[in-house]
Amino acid sequence: MSTATAVKRKQKAAETFVEMCSVRVGQTMFGVPITHILEIVGSARPQPVPLAPEFVGGLVHYRGDVLTTVSLRHLLGLGPKDGPQDILVLESAGGCFGLLVDSVGEVLTVSSADHEPNPSILDERRRALFAGAYKLKDSLLVMLDPERLEPMRLGQADRAAARS
Amino acid sequence: MAMDELTREFLIESQEGLDRMERCMTDLEERPKDGSLIGEIFRSVHTIKGTTGFLGFKRLEKLAHAGENLLGLLREGKLVADRPIITGLLQLLDGLRLILKSIEAESSEGDGEDTELIGRLEELQAPARALAMQAVQAKASPSPARPEQIPHEPVAAIAPSKPRPAPAPEPAELAPAAAEAEGDATKPRAAQAAAGAAADSTLRVDVALLNRMMNLVGELVLTRNQVLQATSADPNMTVLSRRLDMVTADLRESVMKARMQPVSNIFSKIPRIVRDLSLGLGRKVRLQVEGQDTELDKSLLEAIKDPLTHAVRNSLDHGIEPPEVRQAAGKDPEGTLKLRASQEGSHVVIEVSDDGAGIAVEKVRAKAVERGLISSERASGLGERELLQLIFLPGFSTAASVTNVSGRGVGMDVVRTNVEKIGGKVEIDSRPGKGTTLRMRIPLTLAIIPALIVRSLNQSFALPQGALFELVHIPEDEVKAAIEWMEGAPLYRLRGKLLPLVFLDRLLRPGGEYADFSKRDNFIAVLDADGRRFGLVVDGLADPEEIVVKPLSAVLKEIGLYSGATMLGNAELALILDPSAIALKAGISMSREEEGACAAEENGESDAAQSLEYLLVEVGGRQAAVPLKDVLRIEQLPISRIEYIGYRAVLNFEGQLLPVEDTGGVLGEAADNSATAEGSQRQIVVVVCREGQRHVGIAVSHVLDVVAGGDLFEAGTRARTGGVTLLKNRVTAVVDLSVVAPLPAVEEAHAEWAEAAV
Repeated sequence: MSTATAVKRKQKAAETFVEMCSVRVGQTMFGVPITHILEIVGSARPQPVPLAPEFVGGLVHYRGDVLTTVSLRHLLGLGPKDGPQDILVLESAGGCFGLLVDSVGEVLTVSSADHEPNPSILDERRRALFAGAYKLKDSLLVMLDPERLEPMRLGQADRAAARS
Repeated sequence: MAMDELTREFLIESQEGLDRMERCMTDLEERPKDGSLIGEIFRSVHTIKGTTGFLGFKRLEKLAHAGENLLGLLREGKLVADRPIITGLLQLLDGLRLILKSIEAESSEGDGEDTELIGRLEELQAPARALAMQAVQAKASPSPARPEQIPHEPVAAIAPSKPRPAPAPEPAELAPAAAEAEGDATKPRAAQAAAGAAADSTLRVDVALLNRMMNLVGELVLTRNQVLQATSADPNMTVLSRRLDMVTADLRESVMKARMQPVSNIFSKIPRIVRDLSLGLGRKVRLQVEGQDTELDKSLLEAIKDPLTHAVRNSLDHGIEPPEVRQAAGKDPEGTLKLRASQEGSHVVIEVSDDGAGIAVEKVRAKAVERGLISSERASGLGERELLQLIFLPGFSTAASVTNVSGRGVGMDVVRTNVEKIGGKVEIDSRPGKGTTLRMRIPLTLAIIPALIVRSLNQSFALPQGALFELVHIPEDEVKAAIEWMEGAPLYRLRGKLLPLVFLDRLLRPGGEYADFSKRDNFIAVLDADGRRFGLVVDGLADPEEIVVKPLSAVLKEIGLYSGATMLGNAELALILDPSAIALKAGISMSREEEGACAAEENGESDAAQSLEYLLVEVGGRQAAVPLKDVLRIEQLPISRIEYIGYRAVLNFEGQLLPVEDTGGVLGEAADNSATAEGSQRQIVVVVCREGQRHVGIAVSHVLDVVAGGDLFEAGTRARTGGVTLLKNRVTAVVDLSVVAPLPAVEEAHAEWAEAAV
């Protein structure tokens, strides 16, 4: 009942459109707002960093700087992928970082009217990573919030999890 | 907090003006009558006052105005810059700085009160006020008072009635001062013109922009490395890539130069500190500064500011004695503090030396034991130099009482940590009763460092050369015997001493699977981390490279093992290893006692261990040994570098002459072949040794090894034989360095020249 009213209210509000870059990891399609993407680096092989937190996918050279990457596969509990992966260079409050994904797809325009918050049946870890989903015609586009994927923040979350 | 361009400009200019003022101020104390100094100070304050009125900073204007009045009187010679006045002016300087800082931080002058300071500045003018009145009276008298006449008589008249008990300047002194000041009236204009010319040819550049340029040059160096590697096989590209190489090197040097600043920028703060402290501590100190023009990267300059201040404080508090004590010891009651900066290769050496009491090593010993930094048995076994090293331990202080100057035990270890943080080294040298010298060796730049690339886990890692002492190669078939285990701890016997080992792969992948190290070649990089020596075992070595240090993200910095990352010539990324962090992680936090032993070894003073080690060389077909402790370095150079004074072979080494001993006829043999162009490029090896105070070179055919030697005893008498030693079970002659005749001294040379002239 409450969800129904929420949906109604949303539809009443002016509909806005967002451009999302779609990426694929495993079977799922994710979307990252293109306003947060600095660049897409294709088929990169990040240099592993021994003793780094597990979610760190390694280092890549990016425009004269060394960029730390976050492996989305690892965050989702998927095994490592053989061969090169694509990297989204993202900008967040804490600086730039790379997001390692299986492949980068096209840019989609989605409507705010189609957005829904995270469903409650998702496990806690995923709920912390995802920012809801957009209902496309024949599939779902899971929205990623770069701020939540920031390495420093993930590191803190890891430590908090280790403590509890 | 937006600040308009005008205010920013004003802040920078005022800051510079005040820096200049500070420099002049300390000179002024020595030469109170120097009109050009007073003129310079006056101008600084005057400029501030002028601009503040325009920008509407009332508080600043009022204070500057009060200062300007006082300075005006000084400039006109109506006052002499004695101690109270200089103190007042320094307070004015601090006051102005404080307000400027507040403007910079909050865009407002802050709401402090300066009435007290202004009052003091006015008070200082008091005698002059009386003087001025006298002058007015004098003016009233018939003579068409020309200004330069005023000082003479009135001063004499006023002198007796001086209200201040301060060291009254002699009227006789005052008069010439006035004359000088007046004579200088034309000088400021000339000085200003010169300053103007300098301003035209210089430009203010934002440090952020310079940093960016440095980064870009770093990028270019990387690209160059890659181009060089990629084109090395292509003869068509050699000329082009060589040109690229040269231009890159030049560009890098220029950008680095743009970041350089003279050390005078930080030295200029010292006179003030010395002045304040010596007054506070009741010391008499003369400060000598040398090598002010030596240049250093701006960021490094910032980094050594605190250590330098610390060192100076220490010298004043612990080093230089109170005047009575000095006199009793037969020294000049005025102590000397020397600051010296000089460039030595790719390092800048900054020395702080005093002629004070020196460090009482016995006190150091007692204190270290008392503070539990070292056991008493261990302490009693330490020599002087090792004991001196103890003052760098955290928590060490010999000061009986904690003063506000020093003695809190956070002195020297902070100096060492700060200097080591920027890749530098600190040495201390002290002679009881004679003084102490603290030497800081600072690298010229931070952004690009030489490093050795090592391989482990199929990855490359960079090891900063600064921490690397030597490399040991252990071939596969020797690994089992060479690496020994003590309850699971791997050790290697390095010239008879046990060296703890750290396997890089095991350290980086704890609990993982590693290749069996006994089935491959191993390399041990002997590292020194804060005095802890250990061996890092790696799978392979690649070329040394100049690497550009790139910072790591916070989440990777937290691992603690890496100090950065870099891009190698082959476009591979490599993590830069931090030797001290590795030592820490691997648990090579030696007990402090061991640390002492390490320091002993480093200093080469505990002869027991070192005198037994020899550099084995081949000279003209025979083997000979040179005591390792005397060896400074080994040079390989073309025979053409050897020159002759008469029959004496000498080597002109960085502007210094080194006599080269050639007992084995190595030079002669090489010289015989040098007639041909090819022969003159022939390389020879010179072992540079220390003999007493001088350095001598020994020409050798080859350097063979470093080996431990044993003493030989004469049969029957059991007397120790000199001049020979047992090396690798062969009796080997030890080169006697003292027989190398000294080069002709200056007097003799003069005599020779004189003869030649006749």
